[in-house]
Amino acid sequence: MHPAFSVIFFTVASGTGFGLFVLLYMADLFRLGGGLPAHASALTGLLAVALVGGGLLSSTFHLANPKNAWRAFTRWRTSWLAREGVFAVAFFPFALAYIALAWFDAARDVRLMLGFFACVLAWATLFSTGMIYACLKTIRQWNTPLVPAAYLVLGHFSGAMLLLVVTLAVGASSTAYESLVMALLLAAAVLKATYYFWVGRPYGSTINTATGFTRARVRLLDTGHTHDTFLTREFGFRVGSAQRFWLKAAFFLFAVAVPAAMLTQGQALSLGAGLGAAVSAILGMGVERWLFFAEARHVVNLFHGAQRT
Amino acid sequence: MRLGLVIDLDVCVGCHACAVACKEWNASGTTGPLSDYQPYGAEPSGVWFNRIRHYEVGEYPDSKTVNFPMSCMHCEDADCVTVCPTGASYKRTGDGIVLVDQNRCMGCNYCAWACPYGARELDRSSGTMKKCTLCVDRIYDQALPVEERQPACVLTCPAHARMFGDLDDPQSAVSMAVRERGGYQLLPELGYNPTNHYLPPRKHKPIPTGEVVYGAWAKVKKLVNRVVKR
Amino acid sequence: MNAQVKVENHARQEIRYSTCYMCACRCGIKVTLEQGKVRFIQGTRNHPTNQGVLCAKGSAGIMKQYSLAKLSQPLIRKPGSERGDGEFEVISWEQALDMLAERLQEIRATDPSKLAFFTGRDQMQALTGLWAQQFGTPNWSAHGGFCSVNMAVAGLYSIGFSFWEFGAPDWDYAKYFVLWGVAEDHSSNPIKIGLEKLKRGGGKFVSVNPVRTGYSAIADEWVPIKPGMDGLFALSIVHVLLTRELFDYEFLARYTNAPWLVIDRPGHSSHGLFLRDEGGSPLIWDMERETFANGMGGDIAPAMFGEYVAPDGTKVKTVFSLAVERYLDERYAPAHVAAACGVPAETIERLALEMAHVALKEAVELPIEWTDVWGHKHDKVIGRPVAMYAMRGISAHSNGFHACRAIHLIQMLLGALDGPGNFRARAPYPKPIPPHQLPENNPDIINAANTALSRPPLGFPTRPEDLVVDEFGNPLRIDKAYSWEAPFSAHGLMHMVITNATNHDPYAIDTLILFMANMAWNSSMNTKNIQDMLREKDPEEPGQHKIPFLVVVDAFHSEMVNFADLVLPDTTYLERHDCISLLDRPISEPDAAADAIRYPLVEAGRDVRPWQEILVELASRLKFPAFTNADGTRKFKNYPDFIINYQRSPGVGFLAGWRGKNGESSLYGEPNPKQWEKYIENQSFFAHHWPDGQKYMRYVNRGYLEEAAKAGFVGKVEPIIMQVYSEPMQKFRLAGQGLYAGPQPKDPADRERLSKYFDPLPMWYEPLEQQRVNGEEYPFFALTQRPMFMYHSWDSQNVWLRQIMAQNYLYMNAGRAASMGIEDYDWVWVESHNGRIRCQVKTMEGTQEDTVWTWNAIGKQKGAWGLKPDASEAAKGFLLNHLISELLPEKQGERRITNSDPVSGQAAWFDLRVKIYKAAEGESGSWPQFAEVRRLPTDRAARPDVLRYDARTQEKH
Ligand SMILES: Nc1nc2c(c(=O)[nH]1)N[C@H]1C(S)=C(S)[C@@H](COP(=O)(O)OP(=O)(O)OC[C@H]3O[C@@H](n4cnc5c(=O)[nH]c(N)nc54)[C@H](O)[C@@H]3O)O[C@H]1N2
Ligand SMILES: Nc1nc2c(c(=O)[nH]1)N[C@H]1C(S)=C(S)[C@@H](COP(=O)(O)OP(=O)(O)OC[C@H]3O[C@@H](n4cnc5c(=O)[nH]c(N)nc54)[C@H](O)[C@@H]3O)O[C@H]1N2
Ligand code: SF4
Ligand code: SF4
Ligand code: SF4
Ligand code: SF4
Ligand code: SF4
Ligand SMILES: [Mo]
Repeated sequence: MHPAFSVIFFTVASGTGFGLFVLLYMADLFRLGGGLPAHASALTGLLAVALVGGGLLSSTFHLANPKNAWRAFTRWRTSWLAREGVFAVAFFPFALAYIALAWFDAARDVRLMLGFFACVLAWATLFSTGMIYACLKTIRQWNTPLVPAAYLVLGHFSGAMLLLVVTLAVGASSTAYESLVMALLLAAAVLKATYYFWVGRPYGSTINTATGFTRARVRLLDTGHTHDTFLTREFGFRVGSAQRFWLKAAFFLFAVAVPAAMLTQGQALSLGAGLGAAVSAILGMGVERWLFFAEARHVVNLFHGAQRT
Repeated sequence: MRLGLVIDLDVCVGCHACAVACKEWNASGTTGPLSDYQPYGAEPSGVWFNRIRHYEVGEYPDSKTVNFPMSCMHCEDADCVTVCPTGASYKRTGDGIVLVDQNRCMGCNYCAWACPYGARELDRSSGTMKKCTLCVDRIYDQALPVEERQPACVLTCPAHARMFGDLDDPQSAVSMAVRERGGYQLLPELGYNPTNHYLPPRKHKPIPTGEVVYGAWAKVKKLVNRVVKR
Repeated sequence: MNAQVKVENHARQEIRYSTCYMCACRCGIKVTLEQGKVRFIQGTRNHPTNQGVLCAKGSAGIMKQYSLAKLSQPLIRKPGSERGDGEFEVISWEQALDMLAERLQEIRATDPSKLAFFTGRDQMQALTGLWAQQFGTPNWSAHGGFCSVNMAVAGLYSIGFSFWEFGAPDWDYAKYFVLWGVAEDHSSNPIKIGLEKLKRGGGKFVSVNPVRTGYSAIADEWVPIKPGMDGLFALSIVHVLLTRELFDYEFLARYTNAPWLVIDRPGHSSHGLFLRDEGGSPLIWDMERETFANGMGGDIAPAMFGEYVAPDGTKVKTVFSLAVERYLDERYAPAHVAAACGVPAETIERLALEMAHVALKEAVELPIEWTDVWGHKHDKVIGRPVAMYAMRGISAHSNGFHACRAIHLIQMLLGALDGPGNFRARAPYPKPIPPHQLPENNPDIINAANTALSRPPLGFPTRPEDLVVDEFGNPLRIDKAYSWEAPFSAHGLMHMVITNATNHDPYAIDTLILFMANMAWNSSMNTKNIQDMLREKDPEEPGQHKIPFLVVVDAFHSEMVNFADLVLPDTTYLERHDCISLLDRPISEPDAAADAIRYPLVEAGRDVRPWQEILVELASRLKFPAFTNADGTRKFKNYPDFIINYQRSPGVGFLAGWRGKNGESSLYGEPNPKQWEKYIENQSFFAHHWPDGQKYMRYVNRGYLEEAAKAGFVGKVEPIIMQVYSEPMQKFRLAGQGLYAGPQPKDPADRERLSKYFDPLPMWYEPLEQQRVNGEEYPFFALTQRPMFMYHSWDSQNVWLRQIMAQNYLYMNAGRAASMGIEDYDWVWVESHNGRIRCQVKTMEGTQEDTVWTWNAIGKQKGAWGLKPDASEAAKGFLLNHLISELLPEKQGERRITNSDPVSGQAAWFDLRVKIYKAAEGESGSWPQFAEVRRLPTDRAARPDVLRYDARTQEKH
């Protein structure tokens, strides 16, 4: 699939935003590391909301007819895309209310209640985002529970990275946050490793099942058009296997190895190092997301000559 | 009712007539116009609802060339409809035709992702998703003579490789053709249960050539005169 | 959910019927117009040709109508500019016509041959031919010498009708169908309709073709033959049929000249001619009466085999004895030809046996009563249901005439001609063999000023006296048709016109009119040289071109227009009157004689005029006899008036339907002043359905022949006996051998060619060009095919069709390419004895291993056809034509000879041999490239980046 920048930015940004918000809430709930100062907490919440909002906004850039975007909430009963929209939009009032109360450090019970709803909506949105891809039977690389799982975990992981930076910035105790990051980092690494292993298996539809000629080699002679069509532009994107390998390596390097190294270097984590780790992680996540699209092979490619997807 | 097409790969010569007739009808049809990009330029392309691909099956000299027209299959379990967030994509309950309401679509491409058969095309000028309408604006047009209430592609196909009808009705010509000729669906494993079916190339029965084995005639027969009057 | 379906508002629409022009298949079209804009073009349901269906080109007619390449005003080359630089000025029609009429008047009053008028695939040769005849120039022909003349002539000298447009398979009853070398042809929709019928009925479809695409894709059996070998392959089938005695003895005895007696006097001027009685009738040996008898007569029992002695002591032999002697020879045995043909011996033999089985064991019998010309009543018709069809895969080789004859020989052996289930004639065919029409060849008439020719410029020679040469044997025609170089060139040699005229060989001309032919590009061999020739100045006459004045009549901005001195812009097919006449290339089907019309459906909205109108206008101004009343006034107001009132012979005119004062008669009758209206009322076509008793065996069917005689299809009611052995060929062979009692060629090259290639029985020889190039150096055969959705060059302007194909590739057999290290999309050099080109490769399975091919006429000159200069067609598309020479490779001591069939003059497009090697790293794009064609001064339209055609005038979304 063609890796559109707007969609990559959207999923990384809003994923991070949701993750950040959820963890911020957890920190609040469990007073992690003694809890963050009220204003810092609220500002972090705003950052999370901004990331979510910015991501959502960028996702509308890829709409060809944005004037109808408002209709996207109508089919929440069947469409994960609609659900994502509904949940994401519903998230804002709860999140903002929670942030407002956090700023004033007021009404903790109400605040936690509102925050809880916002978290549930954040999870629902993240899950929906994952399901947008995972529900597509047309793209076997996406059609797996590993996808929503990865969206959830990666979102929390990058969110946790940001939260760690915040704790370092405000000088709060960061050990709990570091453990949180490490746990999520490990989960992300295991999940993506599992995913990459799974994705590498030859499996699924072939040019033979696509055309119905199952007893002999089938070759494409002509697509019927000399130049690109909507289909080749939308679905024809390919990455070579060497490039794939290096991109995966880059993901593990930037998103896993670098942050892990920084967190386990043995000394107290400086703000700079934390920031570096976060940037590295988010960079790695960008790579992961790019590859997630680039590596996905839509079945329609079988009709354009791919032997398998 | 379950309206759709049956395409006979045994006789499709790959002439693209159906694709062009489709373009022609639909350019001014309910979802028209269908944009053409760089029409006079380096790399012309545009919106088509029906595309003809060409495959080769097997290896020389026993290879077979197969021409393969594809348009929307009007699937029973059409995920393109399920995934559409705006409700622009819908499947008609009465006849199973899958359509896109141009006034509702936001051009997110998601339905195209959900379609295994490459049947959906975004029109960049209108920003909306377009696809085969099964010529819904022909088949129900009471002003047309009955025999013309058929999709443009079916009417035009010079090889009569395209049939239109109700695949729910076991007595319809399309259902019978599917039964008799072993009609099949594409990518059945994905579970979309497409309405359109494909009839595979027929196998021709060997023609008797007598008991003679190759090169085995003993001697040239003596050809003799016979009395034939005219 | 079931939204209300919105259907069209028909109130603002109207439906008109006309005839498609996107190729010469000429299907009926039903055109829906919305407020004058074309909404939809469909097939006409009852039309005999397409029965309601329409091909891609036909459906895309809309985009032709709204093409940006349409010419819009007459243009003249800018004074002082160079020809071919494409600088033009607008002139008025009056100026253009005055200027042209004046020039033509001068030519006609001095040396009419100095006008050459050649036309492309026009559908009005009856008019253009009449015009040329009336002008008095022999220098006219249409494009038939490109495509089909081998088929036409081989058929008309063998069976009285032919492949190409004079016959069609009987799809209703055929059980076995062999298609030889056809990708599309002009029977485009009928073949597709027919193949489906055949396959649905369980018939077997065999395609003999080096390439498996299109029709061949759906063949039950594909025979990947080596190009140019079909004649040998066919004669091997003949061998198998004869060795097994698998032939229709009765058919041969009754309806062919197999029993006619051939004189056996080697070295004598009568050798190889038929034994004839005093009346000139050919003789047979009657087995019952034991005497010689008239081979054309009835009540005979002819001997098929044997040698006899005529009363004057001449030894004679039956045709069939000669044939059997020849074809039983081991050199035609499958095992001997298999390697050369690239077809296994087992396959050749099996195919022959399959054909024989179906023809002889699965015959169709229809209970139809008919009477033969000899007066015998028959109560049934027997059909041998093996149908065949062949076109340019056979035709476009220099051995195509004989290859086609060899196929006809199979048909004759199987008795599979004009019966149920086989290959049937289309009215006005069959005709006598060959048709009784000779080309004008009287030098006095040809050279006479202001004098019409006494006969049409084209016809069918039967002996050397009929050639169109002067007393020294030099060609009288600019294309050298009907000269010793190509005696049976019944469609002319259009591909030689520019070369010969430039070389002033055989003479210089003054004006060349090209109508509807893109001779500066895809319809010329050796395109680059041809462009240079068009530019060439005459050293003897400073400032003048070798071809002094070039008039191009085109509807679009083609590469040819760029070279014109005068451009006359034509209308499109939806804007003018046209007549698809039985006097021309008929659209008849086996079951019906048919013709059709076009009439203006949309406003031209440009300053263009139909070429037909111009021809009638010029003919009237120049006072051609057929266009002028006795008092010197013009006879016809305009083209529609001409069509109604011109009669070729009493009762026979251009349109066969609704003749008679009130439209009461068909095929013949007085002119009907309301004939156009009648056609328009009847969906623009006319079909005369033959009654059952006149449908079959029409070469000897009295009922049919009587009708045909009245309609002017044949001169009189007489049997048409098919010619296994061709006496006209033998006469030319005798001339070559120095034995003919009449004109003989002087040039040894001609003598050799006649002796070799004018074999009265079908033969095979290696294509001429291949005899002269080293097959090891140039290991590949190189071909083109027509894409089903494009018509030559003129469809690349079509914005819908060019989305299907905007670049052509060179296709190669995948295995062979791999062995040469060539992969998909590699750029390669392709080199022939004539030059080289660079193009891009695609590999495939379905191509014979020694063959490469590409789609025809996709490559374009930059800037032409209303396309932007960077169009893929120009940047990456290519023409194979640069590699093909119009002349055979030079031979020491020999004059340059045309690269054509030595019998018919058919252009040998497919004899090409090439070598292929990878282009160097970084070399890409097609080569050669040409200077960009300038925009015309009349072309100011923008080239939008997005086109959104919509015919609706309301209810838009
Ligand atoms: N769509 C479309 N239709 C057209 C035209 C067009 O441009 N486009 N042009 C029209 C014109 S002008 C003409 S003349 C006709 C011609 O119509 P066709 O006769 O169909 O002409 P080609 O496309 O040249 O196809 C020639 C076929 O012969 C095969 N062939 C080549 N050499 C050999 C050989 O030696 N032996 C055998 N057995 N096969 C061989 C080629 O692979 C090819 O399939 O088509 C007419 N119809
Ligand atoms: N390599 C290779 N070359 C070939 C062949 C091949 O098989 N291989 N085939 C050959 C054969 S068989 C043929 S017939 C030729 C065909 O070649 P051409 O006869 O040159 O055919 P087109 O390219 O269609 O060009 C015809 C011209 O007619 C013009 N035209 C179209 N409509 C109208 C109209 O309504 N009125 C007028 N006045 N003009 C109009 C077009 O603009 C165009 O300039 O090509 C030959 N060239
Ligand atoms: S029109 Fe018919 S024969 Fe031609 S490509 Fe379409 S389905 Fe095949
Ligand atoms: S073919 Fe594609 S667009 Fe058509 S119904 Fe099926 S899934 Fe939807
Ligand atoms: S592109 Fe339009 S029809 Fe398709 S899913 Fe999006 S809104 Fe629905
Ligand atoms: S049914 Fe109508 S819309 Fe669908 S492919 Fe055929 S012509 Fe096009
Ligand atoms: S075959 Fe196609 S282009 Fe030719 S006349 Fe018929 S519809 Fe027109
Ligand atoms: Mo042609």
